[in-house]
Amino acid sequence: MTEYLMEQDIAIELTGVKITRRRRKTIGPINLRIPQGHIVALVGPNGSGKSTIINMILQTISPDEGSITWLGETSKTALPLEIRQQIAYVPEHPINEENFMTADEAARFRSHWYPNWDEVRFDQLMSRFEVSRHERLNRLSKGERRKFEIAAAFAAKPKILLLDEPSSGLDPFAWKDMIEQLRCFMEGEDVTVILSSHIVEEVKRLADYIVLVNSGQVLGMAEKDALFANWKEIWVRGELEGLDGLEADILRRDYGPAMTKLIVRESEALELWQHENRIQMVKSRSLELDEILEIWIQGHTPDVLSK
Amino acid sequence: MWIPIQINENSTEPLYHQIETQLRSLIVSGQVEEGTLLPSIREFAGNLNCSVITVRRVYQDLENEGLLRTKQGTGTFVARVGKDERDEYRRNVVLEAVEVTVDTGLSVQYPEDDLRDLFLEILKKKYGESHNKGNSK
Repeated sequence: MTEYLMEQDIAIELTGVKITRRRRKTIGPINLRIPQGHIVALVGPNGSGKSTIINMILQTISPDEGSITWLGETSKTALPLEIRQQIAYVPEHPINEENFMTADEAARFRSHWYPNWDEVRFDQLMSRFEVSRHERLNRLSKGERRKFEIAAAFAAKPKILLLDEPSSGLDPFAWKDMIEQLRCFMEGEDVTVILSSHIVEEVKRLADYIVLVNSGQVLGMAEKDALFANWKEIWVRGELEGLDGLEADILRRDYGPAMTKLIVRESEALELWQHENRIQMVKSRSLELDEILEIWIQGHTPDVLSK
Repeated sequence: MWIPIQINENSTEPLYHQIETQLRSLIVSGQVEEGTLLPSIREFAGNLNCSVITVRRVYQDLENEGLLRTKQGTGTFVARVGKDERDEYRRNVVLEAVEVTVDTGLSVQYPEDDLRDLFLEILKKKYGESHNKGNSK
């Protein structure tokens, strides 16, 4: 009937992907399905493997085991050009090859690679971001260079856009502008964005889905709003009898002299318990993203994971 | 954004429900008129800082209720709202508000009789006011 009820199209699928390195942590096995047309944020501690996942999607790192599918196409060797041209990337650190080019020269260079290159869009973004176009790229400030990278990635009109820490180096105004531009970019086009970030606010504002990566493993993917609704913190007053039967839904307890603070999972059993024991709920709040991720890493998996 | 929806991040009421309730209220009360083109799903989600999945769900629910209709390639519009729906809606809004009031009384153990007196007092004051205003016009 509608796309909401339909089986979702998958932009990228990682199946049993694994990397074994002698000195470094093993990555995977990773299973991940990135739904098309959405913004998916990879979050997790430093060194957890977020950038490695992005690099595998770009084929700059090849997995030792498992397979990756891009827009329905699987390839063990180099990606077919038609697929590669649908993928744009903003790296965490800009590549050195373009250091001695001006923004315009680098743009001309890239436009050969991307047949859908949109020069008008590039012009608009560059003037909007107020980046000098005649200065060599390695003479630009970190933030300016970033803005060029973002403008060039958007101008390539990709179907898949990979952003590794997109806001690093941006001032708050440029950051806000970048978020707005990214939203405009998503409008009406079937673009999938995969971004890695440890800026909570950025993930909160942009993401449709959140993927938690920790120690080389993907702990799961959850729809952002469902994830936020999964836990809440409540302050209750009253006889807390029968609470022990609800262990599965109660994560943390802090007993105070008059009140108890609980972190709980929304559940019918809990509601019933509150009702039956006439538990007075004095206050409640939803958890912040960093708190949610912290308890998720500790092993309390939210029950709202997308498959 | 021109659709005034206020999200309470600390409410335990699910996000989609908050948005749906408020959007429904804007439509049924006539504040957003029949035929109005609503923002695209991505734009709306961006403005509310929620996921497109949530907005899609809200549009879907309200479409199933007959309050919205989607034209392929054009967007989502506000449909026609009948008088019965409007009346029922008004009743539900008031009902909910009264329930909240009573719950607040219960939570501070306010006596039932006192609550009733208080309610009647406020009723008299407010409705008296608006009645007077009506007369003076």
